[in-house]
Amino acid sequence: MKSLLILFIGAIVVLFAGLGKKKGLLQPLALIASLLALGASVLDLNMGDASGLNERYADMFAFDQYALVFTAVTLVAVSLLIGLTGWGFRTLSDTLGDNLGLILFSVCGALVMFSFQNLTMLFLGIEILSIPLYVLAGSRRDDLASNEAALKYFLMGSFATGILLFGMALVYGATASFDLTRIAAAISDGQHSVGMLNVGILLILIGLSFKISAAPFHFWAPDVYEGSPNLITAFMSTVVKTAGIAAFYRLFAEGFIGAQGFWSTAVAAISAMTMVLANTTAIFQNNFKRMMAYSSISHAGYLLLGILSIGNAASNGAGALLFYTLTYSIATICAFAAYMVVAEQNRDGSFAAFNGLGKKQPLLALMMTIAMLSLAGIPPTAGFFGKYFLFTSALDEYPWLVVLAVINSAISIYYYFKVIIAMYFSREENDYAAPVPAGFRWVMLTALVLIALLTILPGSVYALI
Amino acid sequence: MSLLLILIPLLSSLAIFALRGANVRYVALAAAVANLAVTAAAWAGFDSSAAVNHAFSAPWVPQAGISFSLSMDGISLLLVALTNLLAPLIVLSSYNRSFGQDARYYGLVLMMIGALNGVFLADDGLLFYIFYELALIPIYFICAIWGGDDRIRVTLKFFIYTFIGSLFMLVSLLWVYMQTNVEGHHSFAWTDLVQVQLPEHTANWVMLGFFLAFAVKMPVFPFHTWQPDTYVSAPTGGTMLLSGIMLKMGIYGVIRWMVPLAPEAMHTLAPTFITLAVIGIVYASIIAIKQSDLKRLIAYSSIAHVGLIAAGVLAWNKTGVQGGLIQMLNHGINVVGLFYVVDLLERRLGTRSLSDMGGIAKSAPRFATLFMIITLGAVAVPLTNGFPGEFMLLNGVWKYNFWAGLAAGFTIIFGAVYMLRAYGLAMFGTTNDNTERFADVETRDWIVLGAIAALVILLGFFPQIVLNLTDASVNRILGAVQI
Repeated sequence: MKSLLILFIGAIVVLFAGLGKKKGLLQPLALIASLLALGASVLDLNMGDASGLNERYADMFAFDQYALVFTAVTLVAVSLLIGLTGWGFRTLSDTLGDNLGLILFSVCGALVMFSFQNLTMLFLGIEILSIPLYVLAGSRRDDLASNEAALKYFLMGSFATGILLFGMALVYGATASFDLTRIAAAISDGQHSVGMLNVGILLILIGLSFKISAAPFHFWAPDVYEGSPNLITAFMSTVVKTAGIAAFYRLFAEGFIGAQGFWSTAVAAISAMTMVLANTTAIFQNNFKRMMAYSSISHAGYLLLGILSIGNAASNGAGALLFYTLTYSIATICAFAAYMVVAEQNRDGSFAAFNGLGKKQPLLALMMTIAMLSLAGIPPTAGFFGKYFLFTSALDEYPWLVVLAVINSAISIYYYFKVIIAMYFSREENDYAAPVPAGFRWVMLTALVLIALLTILPGSVYALI
Repeated sequence: MSLLLILIPLLSSLAIFALRGANVRYVALAAAVANLAVTAAAWAGFDSSAAVNHAFSAPWVPQAGISFSLSMDGISLLLVALTNLLAPLIVLSSYNRSFGQDARYYGLVLMMIGALNGVFLADDGLLFYIFYELALIPIYFICAIWGGDDRIRVTLKFFIYTFIGSLFMLVSLLWVYMQTNVEGHHSFAWTDLVQVQLPEHTANWVMLGFFLAFAVKMPVFPFHTWQPDTYVSAPTGGTMLLSGIMLKMGIYGVIRWMVPLAPEAMHTLAPTFITLAVIGIVYASIIAIKQSDLKRLIAYSSIAHVGLIAAGVLAWNKTGVQGGLIQMLNHGINVVGLFYVVDLLERRLGTRSLSDMGGIAKSAPRFATLFMIITLGAVAVPLTNGFPGEFMLLNGVWKYNFWAGLAAGFTIIFGAVYMLRAYGLAMFGTTNDNTERFADVETRDWIVLGAIAALVILLGFFPQIVLNLTDASVNRILGAVQI
């Protein structure tokens, strides 16, 4: 709750400070708000025994260990992203306050999605997360692609919200409650209309799949990712995905666990379809941002394996999701940070934009290499442990799906390596005269240290829940 | 001590990346020599009667039963010795070439050495897998940055082949891991994994997963298609790392992990594997005879030699495994010598084609002698290092199956044919404009080739040094793994 309040107040302060003349203060203010909220959530974390912690608010929120760790992970990503805004948003100086404020508001939505105990709160959280993003996607107002992205994202987002709401209404009809514990109790009692409940769950599943861009509800993602400003794309593919999957897990583990026999098949099918479609399409991309969009879709497929581990007492699906989203977020932010610098001079966005980066900007190239290796899940990077925890959590019950995921990880090497090949092995070399902005250096070094720590001590994060 | 063997190269690799001077090559050599010294100390303090020596263990992800544990027995020590013996020679032979940015090259080589030591020392299944993959990253960069013309396509093929192979190994490893039960938890420790009893049907799948990974790495026919291209296009240092040390990871994996973890499958699968290995021997030898590119010829000869080692090890009797171990060491030494010779010829003549050579023995007699000694070692002439290994391997395969032994025996005849043909074409016959002024060996060549030639003869006379080292460990592993 403290984190949520800090972020909310911070967002308002930044919004009003944006009216003033001192634009230089905005980024530090937003960063301080984000770091304070991070500190508040980490201080509340219970490192030893997680069961004693349960701060509840009128059966609407529960800031338990689960909510706190995901809050912390998200705020790490948000802090890194805000570190990039100084240079990343420099062309938007007149709307800088609005943009930063909107980012913080959006994160508030994510926090609500981690802690909801009631379907209405889930709905509100998703909307608080999404509405600022519709605006942010179109924040480059004079750019046609950015406008297109905003409109597409808005239309698809509202469509998904509609489906989600319909699903919630049906679940309410079947169980007579929006409250997660009461829904779970109603399902286990068996005193409910099975058909109505199943349709409701299915519609909620579809709505959430839209949000985390899982196939076959992923078609909006490549266009929106490509058109949005780079920083917002990074935000969408990290924070939004983390929030979506964490809410997904909480809803299905706490609310719908009794109906697992019904929804687990559907989730497995969506997961398999997402992985295969995304990876086979990503191979053919020539544009870096589109490749990252498909990569992000494929990671949604892997993340769903964590949902499938629900109900298996021997595996720690939540811990696996936590570790995975953290490593995935850091690697994705690194990749986008490096791309932002590169795209400054080579605007076409193809892989050729990276030619010769290894010689001209070794730090940037190293960063990008580690990010790509981590996304591909190649040991000993942190991404490997992410995949390892996630895949083992589902191995007991879905061995075929894990084998499919492993094969897909192998396919993904091909497109992640395209970037590495361009950076180091290409005989042609682009010019990268501009120095790396100072804020970027700090973000990159922090990210490097975090990746190294996660590699050396993966257990410390994994075992938090 | 085990930890030092990994930390010295990895940390000096980081230091070299940070230093980025022109003198990093000396730092790299110093690190390699330091590692050799540590290996010598480990050997001196080695007690072959103990099950493990120089063990080190720290928890890593205790919740998932993963620990950072290293130890060595005779088998590990042999391969660690091979790695660290060849490392200074490989660094030294890289001095002949300028890499543009030396720091990157030598940093990657040392990272590779660290990872290889890790593979041979790991006592934990997941740690083994991580080092196994970690070794792949530096060699990929070495081959792709400093390789020949078609390097990007060739190295990506190499990377994807080996990576997919290892993923199957990971699935197998996980499967066995899921069956372990140590006080209610799963465990990756070798001793726990070995105790798992698998039903024969599952064991077959588990063994197949391991075999895919190791067969690609060695490589065994028909998984060898990446190998000749990669060896040829890689820079010499990379080829030496690949052929001298890296392919031994595959054979080591068979001995340490594949057979002990799924011995139940040996009855069903070993005949197939041995057949593949024997086909590879004959097939690669015949192709080697037809080659005119010396580097490619040695690449194919390497497939043949490794095929024999694989067949001998998979026969899983004392002679076969012992022969495989001694031959791993000897093949590593010989092949590094041969690739050094190829590099020297290519540097001086600007070509690797045998038809452009001839008569070099006249202008460079000392070089011809050293090359001859190494060639004889590769041909496995008695009293060179190749002989005891090949003899024991053939004996082992023979004991397993007469016909397989007979077919594998062709390796000796074919080996003599292609190696002596290559030697004759390069060194004898008439000189041409190119080879007439061929200068004899220089100091650095003396050190590398001299050291290798000395080892060829030393190990030819005293194979007992190696056999005594591994004897107890081989007995132990054969005794523990009942087929």
